[in-house]
Amino acid sequence: MSQNKDMEKDMAFNNQDKIGNSLEQDRAWAESLLNKQNLSQLNASNTEVPIDYFESFPDKLMSSIEEQKREKLEKKKAKIFFLPSFIKPMNRWAVAAAFIILVGGSFIFLNSSVSKKTGASMLANNINIQDISIEEIETYVEANEWIAEIDVQAQIQKENAKLSSLDEKQIEEIQKIINQ
Amino acid sequence: MASDQELIIQFQESINREANFTALLKKHQQKVYYQIKRMVTDHADADDIAQLVWIKIWDKLDGFKMESEFSTWLFRIAYNETLNYLQKQRKHGASNSSSDLLDYENATASSDSPKSTEIQIGLERAISQLPEKQKVVFMLRYFDGFDYEKIASIVGTTIGGAKANYHQAVKKVEHFITQL
Repeated sequence: MSQNKDMEKDMAFNNQDKIGNSLEQDRAWAESLLNKQNLSQLNASNTEVPIDYFESFPDKLMSSIEEQKREKLEKKKAKIFFLPSFIKPMNRWAVAAAFIILVGGSFIFLNSSVSKKTGASMLANNINIQDISIEEIETYVEANEWIAEIDVQAQIQKENAKLSSLDEKQIEEIQKIINQ
Repeated sequence: MASDQELIIQFQESINREANFTALLKKHQQKVYYQIKRMVTDHADADDIAQLVWIKIWDKLDGFKMESEFSTWLFRIAYNETLNYLQKQRKHGASNSSSDLLDYENATASSDSPKSTEIQIGLERAISQLPEKQKVVFMLRYFDGFDYEKIASIVGTTIGGAKANYHQAVKKVEHFITQL
Protein backbone atom coordinates (compact mmCIF):
# COMPACT_ATOMS: atom_id res chain seq x y z
CA MET A 1 0.00 0.00 0.00
CA SER A 2 2.66 2.49 1.06
CA GLN A 3 4.76 1.45 -1.97
CA ASN A 4 1.83 2.32 -4.28
CA LYS A 5 1.33 5.62 -2.52
CA ASP A 6 5.01 6.41 -2.90
CA MET A 7 4.87 5.51 -6.60
CA GLU A 8 1.91 7.84 -7.08
CA LYS A 9 3.85 10.57 -5.33
CA ASP A 10 6.82 9.78 -7.57
CA MET A 11 4.72 10.32 -10.65
CA ALA A 12 3.14 13.46 -9.31
CA PHE A 13 6.32 15.19 -8.25
CA ASN A 14 9.01 13.94 -10.60
CA ASN A 15 7.52 16.09 -13.34
CA GLN A 16 7.17 19.08 -11.12
CA ASP A 17 9.58 21.82 -12.09
CA LYS A 18 9.86 23.27 -8.63
CA ILE A 19 11.20 20.23 -6.76
CA GLY A 20 14.28 18.07 -7.06
CA ASN A 21 16.21 19.68 -9.89
CA SER A 22 18.91 21.15 -7.72
CA LEU A 23 19.45 22.10 -4.10
CA GLU A 24 19.69 25.78 -5.02
CA GLN A 25 16.34 25.65 -6.79
CA ASP A 26 14.68 23.85 -3.89
CA ARG A 27 16.06 26.39 -1.44
CA ALA A 28 15.08 29.33 -3.63
CA TRP A 29 11.54 28.02 -3.97
CA ALA A 30 11.18 27.59 -0.18
CA GLU A 31 12.67 31.05 0.43
CA SER A 32 10.30 32.66 -2.03
CA LEU A 33 7.37 31.32 -0.02
CA LEU A 34 8.71 31.39 3.53
CA ASN A 35 11.20 34.27 3.61
CA LYS A 36 14.94 33.62 3.67
CA GLN A 37 15.60 35.71 6.78
CA ASN A 38 12.96 33.89 8.81
CA LEU A 39 14.37 30.57 7.74
CA SER A 40 17.89 31.52 8.74
CA GLN A 41 16.63 32.72 12.13
CA LEU A 42 14.84 29.43 12.59
CA ASN A 43 18.08 27.61 11.88
CA ALA A 44 19.91 29.80 14.37
CA SER A 45 17.50 28.94 17.18
CA ASN A 46 17.66 25.24 16.34
CA THR A 47 21.43 25.14 16.40
CA GLU A 48 21.89 26.78 19.77
CA VAL A 49 23.61 24.66 22.41
CA PRO A 50 25.00 25.33 25.89
CA ILE A 51 28.64 26.46 25.99
CA ASP A 52 31.17 23.64 25.58
CA TYR A 53 28.41 21.12 25.00
CA PHE A 54 30.11 19.48 22.01
CA GLU A 55 33.51 19.56 23.73
CA SER A 56 32.24 17.72 26.80
CA PHE A 57 29.87 15.35 25.00
CA PRO A 58 32.47 12.67 23.96
CA ASP A 59 33.75 12.25 27.54
CA LYS A 60 30.22 12.09 28.92
CA LEU A 61 29.25 9.52 26.32
CA MET A 62 32.31 7.33 26.84
CA SER A 63 31.70 7.24 30.58
CA SER A 64 28.07 6.15 29.99
CA ILE A 65 29.32 3.44 27.62
CA GLU A 66 31.77 2.27 30.30
CA GLU A 67 29.00 2.23 32.87
CA GLN A 68 26.80 0.23 30.54
CA LYS A 69 29.62 -2.28 29.98
CA ARG A 70 30.05 -2.68 33.75
CA GLU A 71 26.32 -3.21 34.23
CA LYS A 72 26.31 -5.87 31.51
CA LEU A 73 29.22 -7.67 33.18
CA GLU A 74 27.50 -7.57 36.57
CA LYS A 75 24.32 -8.94 35.04
CA LYS A 76 26.30 -11.76 33.49
CA LYS A 77 27.93 -12.59 36.83
CA ALA A 78 24.73 -12.69 38.85
CA LYS A 79 22.26 -14.82 36.96
CA ILE A 80 18.89 -14.84 38.66
CA PHE A 81 16.16 -17.13 37.45
CA PHE A 82 12.70 -15.74 37.58
CA LEU A 83 9.43 -17.50 36.97
CA PRO A 84 8.00 -16.48 33.60
CA SER A 85 6.24 -13.12 33.59
CA PHE A 86 2.88 -14.65 32.66
CA ILE A 87 2.77 -16.25 36.12
CA LYS A 88 1.11 -13.62 38.30
CA PRO A 89 2.13 -13.24 41.99
CA MET A 90 -0.89 -15.25 43.18
CA ASN A 91 -0.19 -17.98 40.65
CA ARG A 92 3.40 -18.20 41.84
CA TRP A 93 2.18 -19.44 45.22
CA ALA A 94 0.01 -21.98 43.44
CA VAL A 95 3.01 -23.17 41.41
CA ALA A 96 5.12 -23.45 44.57
CA ALA A 97 2.35 -25.40 46.39
CA ALA A 98 1.91 -27.73 43.40
CA PHE A 99 5.66 -28.38 43.38
CA ILE A 100 5.68 -29.26 47.10
CA ILE A 101 2.66 -31.54 46.69
CA LEU A 102 4.32 -33.26 43.73
CA VAL A 103 7.58 -33.89 45.61
CA GLY A 104 5.86 -34.90 48.86
CA GLY A 105 3.35 -37.14 47.06
CA SER A 106 6.00 -38.95 45.09
CA PHE A 107 8.03 -39.51 48.29
CA ILE A 108 5.04 -41.05 50.11
CA PHE A 109 4.11 -43.16 47.09
CA LEU A 110 7.64 -44.53 46.68
CA ASN A 111 7.91 -45.34 50.40
CA SER A 112 4.64 -47.25 50.49
CA SER A 113 5.59 -49.27 47.42
CA VAL A 114 8.93 -50.21 49.05
CA SER A 115 7.26 -51.38 52.29
CA LYS A 116 4.74 -53.39 50.28
CA LYS A 117 7.60 -55.07 48.46
CA THR A 118 9.37 -55.90 51.78
CA GLY A 119 6.19 -57.40 53.24
CA ALA A 120 5.69 -59.49 50.15
CA SER A 121 9.22 -60.85 50.28
CA MET A 122 8.81 -61.74 54.01
CA LEU A 123 5.66 -63.62 53.21
CA ALA A 124 7.52 -65.44 50.49
CA ASN A 125 10.28 -66.35 53.02
CA ASN A 126 7.75 -67.83 55.51
CA ILE A 127 6.38 -70.10 52.88
CA ASN A 128 9.88 -71.23 52.01
CA ILE A 129 10.70 -72.18 55.64
CA GLN A 130 7.61 -74.34 55.87
CA ASP A 131 8.51 -76.00 52.63
CA ILE A 132 11.99 -77.04 53.83
CA SER A 133 12.20 -80.71 54.66
CA ILE A 134 13.55 -82.05 58.02
CA GLU A 135 16.42 -83.75 56.24
CA GLU A 136 17.53 -80.50 54.82
CA ILE A 137 17.38 -78.85 58.23
CA GLU A 138 19.41 -81.66 59.83
CA THR A 139 22.04 -81.41 57.11
CA TYR A 140 22.23 -77.67 57.74
CA VAL A 141 22.63 -78.15 61.53
CA GLU A 142 25.33 -80.80 61.07
CA ALA A 143 27.24 -78.62 58.70
CA ASN A 144 27.07 -75.71 61.10
CA GLU A 145 27.57 -77.71 64.34
CA TRP A 146 31.23 -76.82 64.71
CA ILE A 147 30.30 -73.14 64.71
CA ALA A 148 27.97 -73.73 67.65
CA GLU A 149 30.70 -75.73 69.39
CA ILE A 150 33.14 -72.89 69.07
CA ASP A 151 30.54 -70.61 70.61
CA VAL A 152 30.12 -72.96 73.59
CA GLN A 153 33.87 -73.27 74.09
CA ALA A 154 34.24 -69.53 74.04
CA GLN A 155 31.52 -69.18 76.65
CA ILE A 156 33.22 -71.77 78.94
CA GLN A 157 36.54 -69.99 78.65
CA LYS A 158 34.88 -66.77 79.65
CA GLU A 159 33.34 -68.37 82.71
CA ASN A 160 36.65 -69.98 83.69
CA ALA A 161 38.36 -66.67 83.44
CA LYS A 162 35.79 -65.20 85.79
CA LEU A 163 36.32 -68.03 88.33
CA SER A 164 40.10 -67.73 88.24
CA SER A 165 39.82 -64.10 89.07
CA LEU A 166 37.93 -64.88 92.34
CA ASP A 167 39.82 -64.85 95.62
CA GLU A 168 39.52 -67.56 98.31
CA LYS A 169 36.85 -65.79 100.36
CA GLN A 170 34.62 -65.44 97.36
CA ILE A 171 35.07 -69.11 96.48
CA GLU A 172 34.12 -70.12 100.02
CA GLU A 173 31.01 -67.99 99.92
CA ILE A 174 29.97 -69.56 96.63
CA GLN A 175 30.56 -73.06 98.03
CA LYS A 176 28.40 -72.22 101.07
CA ILE A 177 25.59 -71.08 98.80
CA ILE A 178 25.85 -74.28 96.73
CA ASN A 179 25.82 -76.44 99.88
CA GLN A 180 22.79 -74.71 101.28
CA MET B 1 42.10 13.20 8.72
CA ALA B 2 41.05 9.55 8.44
CA SER B 3 37.89 8.71 6.51
CA ASP B 4 34.82 7.18 8.13
CA GLN B 5 35.62 3.89 6.46
CA GLU B 6 39.19 3.78 7.82
CA LEU B 7 37.99 4.60 11.34
CA ILE B 8 35.29 1.95 11.19
CA ILE B 9 37.66 -0.75 9.88
CA GLN B 10 40.13 -0.02 12.67
CA PHE B 11 37.31 -0.06 15.22
CA GLN B 12 36.07 -3.39 13.90
CA GLU B 13 39.61 -4.81 14.03
CA SER B 14 39.81 -3.71 17.68
CA ILE B 15 42.65 -1.26 17.01
CA ASN B 16 42.25 1.69 19.40
CA ARG B 17 38.51 1.20 19.51
CA GLU B 18 37.78 4.15 21.78
CA ALA B 19 40.04 6.55 19.89
CA ASN B 20 38.53 5.62 16.52
CA PHE B 21 35.02 5.80 17.86
CA THR B 22 35.68 9.20 19.42
CA ALA B 23 37.05 10.43 16.09
CA LEU B 24 33.85 9.33 14.34
CA LEU B 25 31.78 10.92 17.08
CA LYS B 26 33.59 14.24 16.82
CA LYS B 27 33.12 14.30 13.05
CA HIS B 28 29.37 13.74 13.14
CA GLN B 29 28.07 14.75 16.57
CA GLN B 30 26.96 18.25 15.65
CA LYS B 31 24.85 17.29 12.64
CA VAL B 32 23.27 14.41 14.54
CA TYR B 33 22.44 16.68 17.47
CA TYR B 34 20.92 19.34 15.21
CA GLN B 35 18.80 16.79 13.38
CA ILE B 36 17.44 15.55 16.71
CA LYS B 37 16.94 19.03 18.16
CA ARG B 38 14.93 20.13 15.14
CA MET B 39 12.51 17.32 15.91
CA VAL B 40 12.27 17.68 19.71
CA THR B 41 13.28 21.36 20.18
CA ASP B 42 14.27 20.89 23.84
CA HIS B 43 18.01 20.62 24.55
CA ALA B 44 17.70 18.11 27.43
CA ASP B 45 15.61 15.78 25.26
CA ALA B 46 17.99 16.20 22.33
CA ASP B 47 20.94 15.41 24.59
CA ASP B 48 19.28 12.25 25.94
CA ILE B 49 18.43 11.03 22.45
CA ALA B 50 21.90 11.85 21.12
CA GLN B 51 23.40 9.71 23.87
CA LEU B 52 21.05 6.83 23.06
CA VAL B 53 21.96 7.12 19.39
CA TRP B 54 25.72 7.04 19.96
CA ILE B 55 25.47 4.17 22.47
CA LYS B 56 23.56 2.24 19.81
CA ILE B 57 26.24 3.08 17.25
CA TRP B 58 28.91 1.77 19.66
CA ASP B 59 26.96 -1.47 20.13
CA LYS B 60 26.21 -2.03 16.43
CA LEU B 61 29.31 -0.69 14.71
CA ASP B 62 30.99 -4.11 14.68
CA GLY B 63 28.15 -5.37 12.50
CA PHE B 64 28.12 -2.39 10.11
CA LYS B 65 28.89 -3.76 6.63
CA MET B 66 29.45 -0.44 4.88
CA GLU B 67 26.79 -1.15 2.29
CA SER B 68 25.64 2.44 2.74
CA GLU B 69 27.45 5.57 3.85
CA PHE B 70 28.13 5.67 7.57
CA SER B 71 26.44 9.06 7.87
CA THR B 72 23.25 7.75 6.22
CA TRP B 73 23.14 4.84 8.65
CA LEU B 74 23.84 7.18 11.56
CA PHE B 75 21.12 9.68 10.61
CA ARG B 76 18.64 6.87 10.08
CA ILE B 77 19.31 5.57 13.60
CA ALA B 78 19.00 9.11 14.96
CA TYR B 79 15.69 9.59 13.11
CA ASN B 80 14.26 6.31 14.39
CA GLU B 81 15.45 6.87 17.96
CA THR B 82 13.86 10.33 17.96
CA LEU B 83 10.57 8.94 16.66
CA ASN B 84 10.64 6.25 19.37
CA TYR B 85 11.34 8.87 22.00
CA LEU B 86 8.47 11.06 20.83
CA GLN B 87 6.11 8.09 20.69
CA LYS B 88 7.03 7.07 24.24
CA GLN B 89 6.45 10.62 25.43
CA ARG B 90 3.03 10.67 23.81
CA LYS B 91 2.14 7.26 25.26
CA HIS B 92 3.00 8.43 28.75
CA GLY B 93 0.85 11.49 28.21
CA ALA B 94 3.81 13.73 28.81
CA SER B 95 3.13 15.61 25.65
CA ASN B 96 0.40 16.37 23.16
CA SER B 97 0.23 18.58 20.13
CA SER B 98 -0.68 21.73 22.05
CA SER B 99 1.94 21.18 24.74
CA ASP B 100 4.44 20.34 21.99
CA LEU B 101 3.74 23.74 20.58
CA LEU B 102 4.10 25.37 23.98
CA ASP B 103 7.38 23.51 24.56
CA TYR B 104 8.57 24.62 21.18
CA GLU B 105 7.72 28.25 21.85
CA ASN B 106 9.31 28.14 25.29
CA ALA B 107 12.43 26.49 23.93
CA THR B 108 12.81 28.99 21.15
CA ALA B 109 11.79 31.96 23.31
CA SER B 110 14.63 31.20 25.71
CA SER B 111 17.14 31.58 22.92
CA ASP B 112 18.88 34.85 22.19
CA SER B 113 17.98 34.84 18.52
CA PRO B 114 15.77 37.77 17.57
CA LYS B 115 12.14 37.13 16.73
CA SER B 116 11.04 40.42 15.42
CA THR B 117 8.07 39.53 13.32
CA GLU B 118 4.86 37.59 13.67
CA ILE B 119 5.86 35.69 10.56
CA GLN B 120 8.96 34.43 12.31
CA ILE B 121 6.90 33.08 15.21
CA GLY B 122 4.32 31.76 12.77
CA LEU B 123 7.00 29.96 10.80
CA GLU B 124 8.28 28.23 13.91
CA ARG B 125 4.80 27.22 14.96
CA ALA B 126 3.96 25.98 11.50
CA ILE B 127 7.08 23.84 11.29
CA SER B 128 6.49 22.41 14.75
CA GLN B 129 3.04 21.28 13.62
CA LEU B 130 4.28 19.41 10.55
CA PRO B 131 4.26 15.59 10.59
CA GLU B 132 7.67 14.32 11.73
CA LYS B 133 8.66 12.95 8.34
CA GLN B 134 7.85 16.17 6.48
CA LYS B 135 9.62 18.21 9.13
CA VAL B 136 12.78 16.12 8.92
CA VAL B 137 12.79 15.99 5.11
CA PHE B 138 12.43 19.78 4.94
CA MET B 139 15.20 20.36 7.50
CA LEU B 140 17.61 17.86 5.91
CA ARG B 141 17.05 19.29 2.45
CA TYR B 142 16.91 22.99 3.21
CA PHE B 143 19.39 23.34 6.09
CA ASP B 144 21.73 20.36 5.62
CA GLY B 145 21.55 20.28 1.83
CA PHE B 146 21.28 16.48 1.63
CA ASP B 147 20.32 14.93 -1.71
CA TYR B 148 16.95 13.21 -1.96
CA GLU B 149 18.50 9.75 -2.22
CA LYS B 150 20.15 10.13 1.16
CA ILE B 151 17.05 11.73 2.71
CA ALA B 152 14.93 8.85 1.37
CA SER B 153 17.28 6.31 2.98
CA ILE B 154 17.20 8.15 6.29
CA VAL B 155 13.43 8.45 6.61
CA GLY B 156 12.67 5.15 4.88
CA THR B 157 10.89 6.26 1.74
CA THR B 158 11.51 6.57 -2.01
CA ILE B 159 13.22 9.50 -3.68
CA GLY B 160 9.83 10.62 -5.03
CA GLY B 161 8.34 10.29 -1.57
CA ALA B 162 11.07 12.50 -0.15
CA LYS B 163 10.48 15.14 -2.83
CA ALA B 164 6.76 15.02 -2.10
CA ASN B 165 7.41 15.47 1.61
CA TYR B 166 9.58 18.53 0.93
CA HIS B 167 6.95 20.03 -1.34
CA GLN B 168 4.12 19.38 1.12
CA ALA B 169 6.13 20.75 4.04
CA VAL B 170 6.83 24.06 2.29
CA LYS B 171 3.25 24.36 1.05
CA LYS B 172 1.74 23.64 4.49
CA VAL B 173 4.02 26.15 6.21
CA GLU B 174 3.24 28.78 3.58
CA HIS B 175 -0.48 28.12 4.00
CA PHE B 176 -0.17 28.48 7.77
CA ILE B 177 1.74 31.77 7.46
CA THR B 178 -0.69 33.33 4.99
CA GLN B 179 -3.54 32.64 7.42
CA LEU B 180 -1.90 34.77 10.12
